[in-house]
Amino acid sequence: MMRTAIGIVALICALLTTGLVASEDGEDTTTAYYQSRAFNAPIFAGWDDQSGEDFALFHLAEAEATIRTAIAPLDDINAAAVAELSEAFGIDVGQPIYQGKVNLADGTWSVLVYDYGEETTASVMARLAGAGAVVISFIERDPAARTALLTVAQADDALDDPTPEIAIAFQSITGRALSELSRAESILLPSGEWTVYTAEDMSAMGMIFGNDSYVALQEGAPGDLAALADAYNRTLLGFFITPESSHYLALALAVVFVILGALVGSLFWRERSLRKDLALLERLAGE
Amino acid sequence: MGDETNSLPLDLRINTSPMPRLLRVMTVITVLGFVGTLALGLRVAGTDIQQGEIQRIFYIHMPSFFGAFTAFGLTVIGGIIYLARKNETWDRIALAGVEVGLAFSLINLLTGSIWARPIWNTWWTWDPRLTSAAIMCLTYAAYLMLRAGIDDPGKRRAFMSVYGILAFVTVLITLFIIRIVPETIHPVIVGASPQNAQGGFAATSGVVIALVPSLLLWLTLLPITIIWHRVRLEARIEALNQLKLQALSE
Repeated sequence: MMRTAIGIVALICALLTTGLVASEDGEDTTTAYYQSRAFNAPIFAGWDDQSGEDFALFHLAEAEATIRTAIAPLDDINAAAVAELSEAFGIDVGQPIYQGKVNLADGTWSVLVYDYGEETTASVMARLAGAGAVVISFIERDPAARTALLTVAQADDALDDPTPEIAIAFQSITGRALSELSRAESILLPSGEWTVYTAEDMSAMGMIFGNDSYVALQEGAPGDLAALADAYNRTLLGFFITPESSHYLALALAVVFVILGALVGSLFWRERSLRKDLALLERLAGE
Repeated sequence: MGDETNSLPLDLRINTSPMPRLLRVMTVITVLGFVGTLALGLRVAGTDIQQGEIQRIFYIHMPSFFGAFTAFGLTVIGGIIYLARKNETWDRIALAGVEVGLAFSLINLLTGSIWARPIWNTWWTWDPRLTSAAIMCLTYAAYLMLRAGIDDPGKRRAFMSVYGILAFVTVLITLFIIRIVPETIHPVIVGASPQNAQGGFAATSGVVIALVPSLLLWLTLLPITIIWHRVRLEARIEALNQLKLQALSE
């Protein structure tokens, strides 16, 4: 009997361990994440990870591009974006060449694009998070290109084509009409399917996610727009803040202790009642 | 023989024998194991980056269901053997199994509901797994109510044995429904989760080291130890009730 019980327990133990290890060691399709107390951001292969304790920073040397995610201790989104660009990249920003807002699943984000002449462009998305502001910035310093990455709310969310938003962004940033570009074949990237427009010196791409179009524009032709757009959009879509849920854990543990306490307490309470009844019966029997 | 029994002091006519050594050892190990597994889940296992601290409740939520499984399983075994042999001890085991299983099921249901609030953004949803778990709890709560409503001890034991055996269907449905109904959003811990599952275990390090000891404790020692205490108590309660009836008839 004892051997059978030990055998059953050992079997259960082996099955559980095997099952759980298999589920942990199975094909890993998850993205590696930069993790800090404040937030989590995806890490991309091929990008140099220069992250610090409180910011995620990835650099692609051949494109001279950098994606940085940080939380600035400011409750003004634009001020936080300016502070980030100034402190992290030494860029003294002027007025943005594009400014908009989009409502994503995790809040309302400000979209800002800055142009610093021939060499540097900065694309920023920022939203309030607690007492500060999350700022995800893309800086491109390739002399052969000027790149802008931005998100535009869809005018017609029933439309399964980002072309209207690509046209709006293209017009706002370059002052030119999208009709100057010709539509190329769509490309499938890890972030999604992108609609592509090209000309000799210009590329424009767009992808729909939710009710928004993610747009990437590049002047010059270094041919790296798809990689940059994909990384930036995966950062935007993959970024998240670990929720503060410890008070729910405390509540759940309290429930566990109350129920187990009630179960064990009821045994003691019934035992005590039994003894009282027994004492009463003995007293009655004595009388 | 009956006269001899009546002449004994009352406390000797009910089982006041000291707790068996094995039960004492099991009780100590269970208490230490409970504290130890709690420490593993709360301190040793890593924090899930997507769910935060609330994910740690899985180290109790899931094992508590399997503890209920053991307890309700003992109700089935108790019921079958009682029907075969008419030995009251097995009926007591069946009753104790329901009480302990119901408590564990409530822990499972309520901790799941609290977990769902920050993860699913709702305290409750009529998901197949949640609905079947709620039906399971209600089925076993009805067992206790029905049992209290049948006066004749023989009929009560026989009827509740059958009820306890049949009620186990709700446990099996709850266990397997997420593998049968693909629309569930409840995550699967061992194996791949359904496509619609929201929230899970994948991001946590140290799952095995925290979950396996907890599962083993809740699956074996915790329910069996409490059930054993409850069976001993029930035997004394039944003996006392007999004495009360005797006292009334005299």
